[in-house]
Amino acid sequence: MNIELTAQQKALQLEVREYMKTVMTPALLEEMKVGEFKEGGGPEFRKQYARMGADGWIGLSWSKELGGKELSHIEQYIFTDEVVRSGFAYPFLTTESTTPVIAANANAEVREEVVGGVKQGKVVIAIGYSEPNAGTDLASLTTKAERDGDDWIINGQKMWTSLANFADYVWLAARTDPGAIKKHKGLTMFLVPTNIEGFSYTPVHTLGVRTNATYYSDIRLPDKYRVGEVNAGWKLITGQLNIERLSLFTHGQVDSLYQGVCEWAATTPAPKGGKLIEQPWVQHNLAKVKSGLEVVKLICWKQAWTMDQGPLNMADASVAKVYSSEFFVELYRMLLEVMGQAGTIAPHSPGAVLKGKLEFRWRVGAVLTFGGGANEVQRDIIAMAGLWMPRTR
Amino acid sequence: MDFTISEEVRSAQQLAQQILGDYTSVDQLKAIERQAERFDAGLWQALADAGLLGLDISENHGGTELGFYSLTTLCEEVGRTVAPVPVIPVLVSAAGTLRRFGSDTQKDQWLTAIASGATLISAALGEYNNDDPTAPGSTAQKKEGGFSISGTKICVSHARSAARILLSARMGEELVVALVDPRAAGVTLNAQIVTTGETQYELVMNKVQVPAADIIAVGGEALAAMDWALLATRTALAAMALGVCDKMMRITGQYTSEREQFGRAIATFQAVSHRVADCYIDVECLRLVTQQAAALIDQSRPADEAVLMAKIWCGNVTHRVSQASQHCHGGTGVDRDYPLYRYCELARQIELTAGSSAQLTGELGQGICAEYLSKAG
Repeated sequence: MNIELTAQQKALQLEVREYMKTVMTPALLEEMKVGEFKEGGGPEFRKQYARMGADGWIGLSWSKELGGKELSHIEQYIFTDEVVRSGFAYPFLTTESTTPVIAANANAEVREEVVGGVKQGKVVIAIGYSEPNAGTDLASLTTKAERDGDDWIINGQKMWTSLANFADYVWLAARTDPGAIKKHKGLTMFLVPTNIEGFSYTPVHTLGVRTNATYYSDIRLPDKYRVGEVNAGWKLITGQLNIERLSLFTHGQVDSLYQGVCEWAATTPAPKGGKLIEQPWVQHNLAKVKSGLEVVKLICWKQAWTMDQGPLNMADASVAKVYSSEFFVELYRMLLEVMGQAGTIAPHSPGAVLKGKLEFRWRVGAVLTFGGGANEVQRDIIAMAGLWMPRTR
Repeated sequence: MDFTISEEVRSAQQLAQQILGDYTSVDQLKAIERQAERFDAGLWQALADAGLLGLDISENHGGTELGFYSLTTLCEEVGRTVAPVPVIPVLVSAAGTLRRFGSDTQKDQWLTAIASGATLISAALGEYNNDDPTAPGSTAQKKEGGFSISGTKICVSHARSAARILLSARMGEELVVALVDPRAAGVTLNAQIVTTGETQYELVMNKVQVPAADIIAVGGEALAAMDWALLATRTALAAMALGVCDKMMRITGQYTSEREQFGRAIATFQAVSHRVADCYIDVECLRLVTQQAAALIDQSRPADEAVLMAKIWCGNVTHRVSQASQHCHGGTGVDRDYPLYRYCELARQIELTAGSSAQLTGELGQGICAEYLSKAG
């Protein structure tokens, strides 16, 4: 039992941290002020993403066959943690979630096109799972793909297709067997190039960032873009959750926010003398944030370490999701409370504390407790897989 | 980074689980509760015979020397079984401190006897309105051949049967750590029934003469001894809470899976199962912070903040899991013929011992303030 990074792991952490500073160029920071490009997609983002590819930073967790370095999960977590901390809109779902599945299941030509492109930092993939009437109950999705000769005809609508406005492909789940008795057994996965005829999107502006609704209207998609067997899509959706989890919640970024608020409160005068950080209520909030954050760190490390030993147990994965998402929401509030009314000043407005980062994180944080598997479903899993309680009805 | 628990530590924990399980049926617990002292001498001896009292005692004193981490896993198992044995005051607060700060003569005199189960040495870390043994109100004066100690300690476990009680007193600005004989002249023991139902003692000392042979440390060394004792005790309490809470949660998961209302198991209501799932999350959080604190102390590395956080989580989690367990059981949970109430009582006892969450959150906040003010220059 030695819960600390080794010298080698610390060196990797430092290396990634220093490298990411060179990725976050002034031009990129400027570009990210534009609402459209906050989550990436601008020309400078493309340039830096491609540079990460050229410098060999993409796909570190992939097999050597795919040109990866087969990093351990702990190393992969360290990389992820530092990239998130840097603020770069790195497309983790593309590199860690979909690409390895595509590599294992796509036909040779598409594999070359997509996996090679991602490796070079030239390809971004958006996720097309949710629909207006299929969210937490994903298996009830109705976007359909019908076989027509060597092609598939795709019709339907997806919701919350983030990055679709600049992505090169949508990783699409579609119904191929409307008669399947178990609805999750009638789904197939496709890669839809976003320049194909019949694809369109409209922006959806959320409390936090911009996302999209995407439309699939009589798209004629060659069969080579089908990934995996027909009607065997569900396993591809659920099979790659492991590495995805390592990028869902990380410690570094929120820890930087905590440290930033501590530094700010230690240099900001309190109205009746002394510094703000000397107020008991400020110390109380900071202490609660610190003791909660410590567990985020330990959960992330333990999760990565466990994955290096074997599969992650379902209940533990759900614990990580519920705890981190609910704590992040609390943390944003407790740190904003320390700032008081100044905490409401938006990024890029004069007087914004810590560049308004917390005001923005709070906005983005609204999706945490239901995104990536609603916490109610996670609690059901904990009760069943962790405590052997009967399924709720 | 390595979360592996070594094979030896794991087998010691399994052995403890087995022995404690054998001695803690409801009937056995009830029998011990009818005694004047809440102490299972047979169980204590069985633990001694299995080498489990000496987990953190060196081999030349009859211990197995597996270290502090291993000792915390014994505390966890005692929590899981609510076994009436004083592992924390005797093995952690007293023996652990003696091992690290006692003289060779003192160690020879006491540690072998503790490991063999022959002798109990208890510890008295708390006073009225003061859970901090590094700043006691009790006083010491240097006398010919030793010290004279006066003051009052509270909630002292096994004060009547212990051969000595480890405690601190201040001499002006300096601290003194001593072993006080509860039979010495000037000592009064007043029984105090605490939340668990155990009889503990108010220890009143009126110019008690403590011979030099029973003085463990004076000055900086005494401060270091009490710092260590407090860190170790808080961590051991968190470990015991881990066992208590894990068991309460499992009892509750099982009960709600069997109890039927409205024609179905109440666990099939999300409102119920989610409350138990929240306990599971809390227990996992407590496990991580406790393991971290225990590992740091085990490796003699700085553990101050890690221990504060572990005890803060300990206080919050014991409270929440205990209340949720009671609630999900309905009336059954409060019935003294059902095992849950013992866990709830012990949970509250642990929560309020050696620093509450509110107090320690305050301390942690002051530490953060000092750290960042000094960084800001």
